[in-house]
Parts: sequence; C-alpha cells; structure tokens
Amino acid sequence: MAQSSDISQTSLSGGHQVAQFLKNYYIYFVLVGVVVLLSVANLDRYDLFERGNFLYDKNIINILRISAPLLTLAGAFTLLMVSGYIDLSVGSAMSLSAVIYAMLAINGVPFLPAFALTVLAGVGMGLINGFLVVRLKITPVIATLITLSLFKGIALLLVQDGVSAIKSGGGLKMPVWFNSYGREAVWLGLPMAFWIAVVVTIALVVAQNRSLLGKYAAATGGNPTAAKLSGINTSKVVIWLYVLVGVSAALAGIARSSFMSLGDPLSGDGMELSAILVVLIGGTAFSGGEGRVLRSFIGALIIMALTIGMLTLVPAYYQTLVIGAALLAAAASNHLVSRKETAS
Amino acid sequence: MTVTANIGRSLSDDRRKMSDEAFITLLVASVAVGLFLFASLLVPNFFQLLNMLNLVTNNWAVISLGIGVSFLLVSGNFDLSVGGIVALSGVLSVWFAQATGGANALSTGLGLPYWLAITCALGGALAIGALNALFVVKFRIPSIIVTLGTMMLARGIAQVVTQGSQRNTNLPDEFGVLGNMTMFDTSVKLPVAFMLILLLIAIFIERKTVFGRLTYWIGANPIAASLSGIDKEKHVTYLYLFSSLIAGIVGILLASEFKSGYSNRGTLMEFDALVIALLGGVAIAGGFGSVVGMFFGAVILAIVTSAATGMVLSPDWQYILKAIAVFLAIVTQTWALARRNR
Repeated sequence: MAQSSDISQTSLSGGHQVAQFLKNYYIYFVLVGVVVLLSVANLDRYDLFERGNFLYDKNIINILRISAPLLTLAGAFTLLMVSGYIDLSVGSAMSLSAVIYAMLAINGVPFLPAFALTVLAGVGMGLINGFLVVRLKITPVIATLITLSLFKGIALLLVQDGVSAIKSGGGLKMPVWFNSYGREAVWLGLPMAFWIAVVVTIALVVAQNRSLLGKYAAATGGNPTAAKLSGINTSKVVIWLYVLVGVSAALAGIARSSFMSLGDPLSGDGMELSAILVVLIGGTAFSGGEGRVLRSFIGALIIMALTIGMLTLVPAYYQTLVIGAALLAAAASNHLVSRKETAS
Repeated sequence: MTVTANIGRSLSDDRRKMSDEAFITLLVASVAVGLFLFASLLVPNFFQLLNMLNLVTNNWAVISLGIGVSFLLVSGNFDLSVGGIVALSGVLSVWFAQATGGANALSTGLGLPYWLAITCALGGALAIGALNALFVVKFRIPSIIVTLGTMMLARGIAQVVTQGSQRNTNLPDEFGVLGNMTMFDTSVKLPVAFMLILLLIAIFIERKTVFGRLTYWIGANPIAASLSGIDKEKHVTYLYLFSSLIAGIVGILLASEFKSGYSNRGTLMEFDALVIALLGGVAIAGGFGSVVGMFFGAVILAIVTSAATGMVLSPDWQYILKAIAVFLAIVTQTWALARRNR
C-alpha cells in the first residue's frame, strides 16, 4: 500500500501532491500543535522546561508511562478496523488481563510465567471474539458487546467480594518486582511497558507494509467479496486480527496493572472509546480498507498529551466533554477528507 | 439472514397465518414466561403478582429508551447516545430551575420557572439528537461511532455543569412533583404511566401508520427505499429526534424523582436499551423487529438480573448473565428463523 501511494503521488499534479502530503503527515503537525499549545499555555507561570510546565522532562516521561496501554493497543486495533471489523471488548479484555496478571503475581508466580499466561489469556479472548464473529456470523458490534459484558463479569467475579481490586492485603502481598514493568526506567528514563508498546508498533508497521497479513487486512476491508474471490481466506485473516487485538489488550492490561500496582477489574473501562478515537484521529476510514498503524500510534500520543496536559489548565471534569468533541471532530474531518477524494 | 427472512415473509404472506416478526415475538414472549416460571422454582417468593409488576415498573426508564432505540435499529441505525442524554437533560433541568444566588456555584442556577426549565432541557436533548442526525444522515458517518461520540459529549456537558458531581439544592418545590406523582388514584407513578402510553403509541405507529412501515422498508433495503422515492434522510432525522426527545423526558423524570441532577445518571442505560432490543428480536442489520418484542426482551433481562439477585449471587454476575442471555437470544433467533424459512 505504501508503494502504491508513492506511485500515485508522482503522477499527480502539484495541488494533489500538497493534499496527499497533508493527508500523510497532518498527524505530526497536530502532535506538534498540541505540544506547543500545552507548553505555551502555562508560560506565564512557569518557564518552558521548568517543573510545572508541559515540557518538563519528568512530565513527558510520566505521560509516556501512563500512555503505554493505549499505545500498545493502537496498532492492532487499527489493523482490525482497516479490515472493516471492530472490537468493543478491548476495555474489558484489558481489565480481565490486569486482574489475571495481578492474581498470578500475588499468588507467587514469577514475572515471566505470569506475563506469558496473561498473554495466553489474551489469545483466548481474541479467539472467542473471532469465533463469534467469523464462525457464528454474529455482527461484530454485537459479538464484542457480548464479550465486553462477559470479560467484565469474569474480571469482577475474580476479585473477592468486598474488595475493589486485587492488591496487597489479607495475608497476600504484591511482589516487589510487580510495578517495575510499568514504572522502572530501563532506557531513556522509560519503563519496559513503553518499550514493549514501541516494539509491538514497529512489528505491526512492518506487518502492515511488508507482510501478507497487512495486504489481506486492507483487501478484506476494501472489498470483502473481491478479497474472497481472489482466494484470500478472509475468515482466517479476521480471526488472526482479533487474536492480535486480544494479545495487545493483554499487554495493555499488564502495563496498566503494573503501573497502578493492582489488578483493577474496571481499569480498562472506556478503553474501547479511546482506541476508536485514536484510530479515527489517525485517519483510518471507518468503512475499512485504509489506515496506517504508525498514524494511530501518533494519534494515541496526541490524545494522551491532550488529556493529561489539559489537567493543568482546566478541571478534570472537562475530560469527557473534550474526548467526545474530539471524537466527533475526528469523524467529521475524516468525512471531509474522504469526500474531497471521491470528488476529485 | 434478515434479508432472506424478509423475502421469505413477503413471498409467503398469503400462505402463512403468522409473519416472521409475530413468530419471533411469540418466541421471545414464551421464553419470558418460561424463564419466569423457572425462576419461580429456584427463587423463594418470586412467583407473586407484585414481583411480576415490579419487573416492568422498575425498568420504565430503559423500556422507554428502548422504544426510540428499537425504531432506529429497525431503520438500520444505532443510538448509543441515549444514556448521555438522560444525564444531560436531567442536569440541565436542575440547573435551569435552581434559584439564583445560592451559597456556592453548585447551588446557583438560572432561576427559570419549572415549565421553562424543562422545555429548555428538552431543547438540549433535541440538540444532541439533531447532532446525531447531522453526522449520520448528512456526513454518512457510521451511527455507532457518531452516537458513541455524542454520548460522551452529552455526558461531558453534564459533568461540566455539575462540576463532576451533582446539583440538588436550592430547587423549587414543584421540581419533585413529576417523578413522584401517582396517577388515577392508584400507586402507578407518572413515569410508569408515561412508559405505558409511549408503548401504546409506539405499537400504533409501528403497526398502523405509513411512517412505521417506511421505517421497516428503509432498514430492510435502504437503496430500494431511496429509489422508490422515500426521503430516507428526513425519516432517520425524525427517528433520532424522537429517540433523543424520549431520552430527554426520561432524564427530566429521573431528575425529578431523585430531586437531583447527577452527571453519571443513565450510565450504561444505552447498552441496556440495546440489549433489550436485541433480546426482543430486533435485528441489528435493520428491517426486522417489534416494540412488543423489545418489551418482552426487557422482561427477560429483568427476570435474569432479579433472579440472580434473589439467588444471592454476587451482583457481579449480572454482566455474565447479560452476555449469556444476549448470546443465546441471537443464536436461537437466527436458528429458529432459518429453520422456519427453510
């Protein structure tokens, strides 16, 4: 897909080239714009890199640490939406993974096995979604609404009555290593969870550009019938993509649970909305067939910078309003861009 | 599946006495009755007239929302914004009606007379509905994404107005009347009567009016509907406005019942409204389903959740039960229709 857009670029006229350039790179301008806005807004009180302003290095590190779950999710979610499907259960899958991971850790399972088992649970959740959608042919929205309820219910049941989350207490103690995955700096001041998100994203960028999975996902979303007729096993592609999303949700759950040092069965609530928002900001067409993993990653950075950076400017209760407005604005601008294309 | 079902129905209308819709509604109703009897065996004191009535009256809000949501689903569109609108209109009605000059920001309102306050609150609800229609009809953005966005927008405004908590002081006396008033010298409260009247109107519109039948046409085959000269855009716009109006009234009644505007009121109501429509056999692909079916879907959900509470299961079980109920409902309905139309 990258190659085809290169070819079309060279053959287009100047005006189209600018439009194409804007379409491919606008997201970086938005990111720079948000960062500039947030750092300038507090300049009257703090210097540019001073503690309290947005660009203070510890603030940036903190935002990136908190962003790890969403950054991990963005890539796989993009590929799924590119293929024309949706997963509303990611938030619950993330909560359930966080609870499973914390339960394993608090009961004495070491880091690596706990990590691996949680990822395996993510594979299972993805397979359930894939099974409902592909084999039982339940509409993706309904199928994943069912699993949203199911995963959330299991997560809530795993946590004992009377406690809000899995945490130290009642004779059990969280191991010391538990929060190092989400908090302890391993490189450039950033923790493992963030670097895993980067690795996942790079792998998915490569998969999208260089592997058959990326091409098949785009084909499935662009024109499912044509894809099927040209011999692509679309059912298999879709199941794979749901599994990828499930694994990403599990990784996101591990990151969140490690960062907060507890297994909270509600920690992933609303994550499906953030994921949709991020993918839309990244310019993925909701009809499927188009979208880039990297742009969604940048979209996730924008949203996290905005929601956390905003806290220094307005009270926290403005967050829902801003996210809702951003979602509608992203949807509207996507619409305008795609309409211009079909018109020209 | 729905398309074939519709074709099957139109081809065989003269041969069969019962339409597929009536068949599914009957199926859902018998499941509801069966579940009630089953739950009566398991749960002590479940089999009582009062309990049967409570199953319906306790859920007046979700059933009312379900009417607007069902009509939209039949036309092939989602409306997930209703929960947000419930919060918004309730909070707005409180804010507008609160007297000026309270002790702090949360107890100071605009001091409008109550009738004007609720009219303006309904205006706010309709504005969200109009926004839904604008994005879905004019911009052609998938309704699920639009209404998720407006759900957050509406709740977001409610949170800003209440500063993330609630407004419940400095209200005029008549504020608590609507939500707690009883009707016709019985213990039937106004909100329940509102739901019953709304149900009757909805069934009439669905069965006996051109508007109702057009909704099915649009959902069953949008392209054919457009080609045969139906103004689809206007129709769906009306449906979104109706749905938001119902949600607005529900929000105002709830705010009046509790005498407070709470920004988290109605959380997850949009999902419950969707769930009862699905349980009642409304097809998500559009063109199929009925308000009566939705009503029995609500009864099923109520039985499942209240029976679980009666069996002293942890309330956390309701999520899993909901998931299983929707899953079974969808699978059985698909299976039953496929078998019938074979």
